[in-house]
Amino acid sequence: MQIDHDSILTLELPYREQLQLHRTVYHGGDGPKVAVVAGIHGDELEGLYVCHRLAAWLEELALKRPAALLGRVELYPALNPLGIDTLQRFVPVFDTDLNRNFPGHREGLLPQRITDAVMRALAGAVLVLDIHASNVFLREIPQVRINQASAATLVPLAREMNIDVIWLHGAITVLEATIAHSLNSRGIPCLVVEMGVGMRITPAFTDQLMTGILRVWRSLGVLAPDLTLADLTHQPLLADDSNVHYLNAETSGLFLPEVEHWTSVQRGQRLGRIVSPHEGAVLSEVRSPVDGILFTLREYPVVYEGSLMARIMEVSATVPPEPAQ
Amino acid sequence: MNPPALLRMTAPLREDFEIAYHDIGSADSAATLALVAGIHGDELNGVFVLSRLAHFLGGVAADQQPGHRLCARVIVVPAVNILGVNTRNRRWPFDATDINRMFPGYNAGETTQRIAHAVMELTRQAHYRIDIHSSNLDFEELPQVRLYEPNDAERGSARLFGLSAVIERPMNAVFTSTIGHAWRSSGGQNFVLQAGQAGVLQPAHCDRLFHALVAFLSRTGVLTGVELSDPDEEGHYFGLGHTFPLISEHAGLFVSRLAVGRWLQAGDLIGQVYDGFNGELRHEVKAPMAGLLSGIRRQPLLFEGDLIARIQTRQPVAEGVDTYLHSQGQ
Repeated sequence: MQIDHDSILTLELPYREQLQLHRTVYHGGDGPKVAVVAGIHGDELEGLYVCHRLAAWLEELALKRPAALLGRVELYPALNPLGIDTLQRFVPVFDTDLNRNFPGHREGLLPQRITDAVMRALAGAVLVLDIHASNVFLREIPQVRINQASAATLVPLAREMNIDVIWLHGAITVLEATIAHSLNSRGIPCLVVEMGVGMRITPAFTDQLMTGILRVWRSLGVLAPDLTLADLTHQPLLADDSNVHYLNAETSGLFLPEVEHWTSVQRGQRLGRIVSPHEGAVLSEVRSPVDGILFTLREYPVVYEGSLMARIMEVSATVPPEPAQ
Repeated sequence: MNPPALLRMTAPLREDFEIAYHDIGSADSAATLALVAGIHGDELNGVFVLSRLAHFLGGVAADQQPGHRLCARVIVVPAVNILGVNTRNRRWPFDATDINRMFPGYNAGETTQRIAHAVMELTRQAHYRIDIHSSNLDFEELPQVRLYEPNDAERGSARLFGLSAVIERPMNAVFTSTIGHAWRSSGGQNFVLQAGQAGVLQPAHCDRLFHALVAFLSRTGVLTGVELSDPDEEGHYFGLGHTFPLISEHAGLFVSRLAVGRWLQAGDLIGQVYDGFNGELRHEVKAPMAGLLSGIRRQPLLFEGDLIARIQTRQPVAEGVDTYLHSQGQ
């Protein structure tokens, strides 16, 4: 096994610095190529830690059994390195969401040059994982989000990812500018992983996802079939536009949840309160509209009218969720 | 009397707030014209001009302008993103969402979806709808009419503003969430006006914009009895594919003395790029082709892959070269 660190793009900054897009490439045999990309949004760090853990695992494999890497693994921990280094979600200065600039253009603006370079680099991959970490407001259970148009190809892969939820969503035109849509429309399977919360790392979620990633890589022929890997511990529930309920704040104030993330809730159950620091009364009680599982929970307490506090997937009361980690 | 509000909302710690608007003219019929600015809180030319226009039209409606008559109802929203204006923030400050990426909105959704929905509800009734922008903090635009996949009526009416440039731009996936696109589902005629640069108030551009709006009101019969003090600028129509974005291949400090609205010949000097450390001239930026300078960079710090200028050309430029610049200034 050979390990290379290189950059796929170098651009000049105004004053004596460069922006470089770094990757680490693990060369094994002539088997298929897979990739993990993270850090498209500069405030989402979970994927960076996943890349670290995968790098550590592959480095250990290189020492113990290098021939077990039959294919090629590419890790791109930070597609928006300037955003991560300056704690900004979007591409600094350009003030644009990098994940609305795909597939990019070689002669375009800096964000489009980045996305163009990424698209070129990922050509030929049999699977790309695009890891996100929600935002600073919401905590998400490990899940894969899939456009309905790509469901037939991607759902079977997602089922093996050791995640808790597969969320099938309808086609939305604005999402055509994302990396996932751009790759999938070119025949490169791309799974969008969402987990955790912005600006934080949840090691247990990474542990969970690692198991799925390695098992899928093995099934794709990237890793040797006889390589011993941990068993799956999570089976995903299937969410779609018909069974996901959004709880938006009825008034502004401080949201205080009264339930744990990833827990079963009953219709009418109080999930939390919105209070004001100016008075002792409760401004609003937040109750579940259905029996289901709370798979999104607000992390940041301040809410405006309309702020999302939770998402609940309506399920049969007989289906218990996996224990929260 | 307090002005009407298109939305009232609580705030976490401050007092409740509202997005106020002007409803001018007879309330007996639906509004003929709706004007919106300040969807981006840092674009002040439009906010200023619409506030002045509302003042003027209010005077006409109150018979304080002899000889003038307002013949139709007009809705004016000087600023949608009021918290953004007050905190000098382009986006909705709390969650950094761009309100002009939230249309058509949703009345039970996120805060900015509710704002977008309320703006749509107010303006949907109008036949003419105008959304005013001022690029961004880095770039200055010649006052111009922008059209996105227009119909023939919009192409014809765009000339009524009397501005020097009417520019058709390509639609793309991101722009499907703007107010300009959302309006299309309600029919009528819809226009985006661009004028100047965000973060500042530019009196000369504001004068052109005010003149253009009064000219439009007059020529569409909304306002009568007006004699325009200045003649129209010579108008030019640039169809799809007649915009050349000049993008930098060099980084450094960009310096230009050009004003927008100037006609360039191929090879004309647009500006220089200097090394910010040792002061060396790194590159002279020259016009690659002849055309109207419709926009130019005002931010000196220049990346490799930054927009320097836009040139409107008489001949079509390479197809598709403009379609990927969808994040710029609107």
